[in-house]
Amino acid sequence: MSTDVGIWVGALMTIAVFSYLFSENEFYKAVEHIYVGAAAGYSIVLGFSNVVTKGWQPLVEGRQFQVLIPVAMGLMLFAPYAGTQYNWMRRIPISFIVGIGAGITIRSVVIEQFVKQLSATILPFNSVNNVIIVLGTLAVLSYFFFTFKPSRALKTSAEVGKWIIMITFGASFGNAVMGRISLLIGRIDFMFREWIHLIKL
Amino acid sequence: MDVLMKLGDIDKRVLYVLLVLVLLIPMVRPIGIRISISHWTTKAYEQLSRLEPGDTVICDFGYNVDGAPDVEPIAKAIFRDLFDRNIKIITVSLNAQGPMIAEKLLLPYEESGKVYGTDFCNLGFMAGGETALAAYARDLKRTFPRDWRGNTTSTLPILQGITGAPDTKAWIFFTDSSAEAWVRQVGDLDVPMIGAVITVAAPQAEPFVHSGQLSGLLTGLRSAAEYEIVTNRPGGAVAAMDAQSLGHILITIFIVFGNISYFVKRSKELAGREGVQ
Repeated sequence: MSTDVGIWVGALMTIAVFSYLFSENEFYKAVEHIYVGAAAGYSIVLGFSNVVTKGWQPLVEGRQFQVLIPVAMGLMLFAPYAGTQYNWMRRIPISFIVGIGAGITIRSVVIEQFVKQLSATILPFNSVNNVIIVLGTLAVLSYFFFTFKPSRALKTSAEVGKWIIMITFGASFGNAVMGRISLLIGRIDFMFREWIHLIKL
Repeated sequence: MDVLMKLGDIDKRVLYVLLVLVLLIPMVRPIGIRISISHWTTKAYEQLSRLEPGDTVICDFGYNVDGAPDVEPIAKAIFRDLFDRNIKIITVSLNAQGPMIAEKLLLPYEESGKVYGTDFCNLGFMAGGETALAAYARDLKRTFPRDWRGNTTSTLPILQGITGAPDTKAWIFFTDSSAEAWVRQVGDLDVPMIGAVITVAAPQAEPFVHSGQLSGLLTGLRSAAEYEIVTNRPGGAVAAMDAQSLGHILITIFIVFGNISYFVKRSKELAGREGVQ
């Protein structure tokens, strides 16, 4: 068995978390709170470190006074805590964050997720894969076509589209199961290799 | 019939214990079930095998510790392959827990002689999500004036001559969510990009390989095992695949018997109702 205190703590916490599968208990609740607390603590330390390395040090040590602008905008986010009369100050950095975020994302969404995906779907019918991709895409699109009363052909296409959507959901579910098994394997590996030393390979 | 009905009423805790046993036994005594190599893994391997000693790649960590058992084996397999071939690695993190995870993975290589700042470096985490990603993909040193260990990044030898992603040979991202952020923000830069995603996110990421926006795709533990095999470095992921396969067989059996039991019960109930009428 391991003599590392850290591994013992991890193993006992793992057992406490899995005990929830049998019934909810105090050990599970305690570990749940510790996990949330540790994650919050880590985030606070990381946030503080970010302020020091990306704000304080460039400003004080590097004399980069342009850093004052993002620092001031960051502080403005906390203005409402000084009094409700300062609520308006928060809107300036928030509008800046939302504007920059939307600008960066929308531009690339159009190119990377619409135009490039669209062009990747326009394929010659020279392989079974290509035929499935092109007809499958059209069939799925027809399923979401609600503009006018569907004809018999559109209904048939929509039905095929529905089946393709179901197959996609099935593939996603299969992957979800596979992923969850991997997570469980990871825990079993930790418990029986690093803690108990039963797995030796 | 009664046996089939009883199967549907088995206590779920019995199923949990069965699943753990089925996963544990092949990990202790491997069976050696054959693993085939997928097209996506082959593409990723082909892309990375073109790298020469001395080339630099960026590894972007975008997963939390709770997704690590599925994604981390890929990171381990890639790090082993790249470091063995003397390829330099710059790690960045879109996720807050990323720097800590990267540091843990890099430590064994540092202990075995790889030099921090020359063979690898950990630039840390930048808050801001996709906006941050867009920034550091284009200018690493401006976005990270200091690395995770507090060094000034402009003095690190590994970053000399490197401004952003196009100055490196590949961008590999590891994520426990979707690949879309990287496709959007790194996709238009001139650098081959390889995605290593959690298994659940695979169906959403595959269209990006098909369109050529990703040069390769590795999905979860299975792809890690495949990568270990194609690089002739079998490790932990290959060892875990027997458990993975047997786990799937057991779950399939659960689903089949659960459904049979359900239909048998339903047909009995219907027959009972008709008898009363």
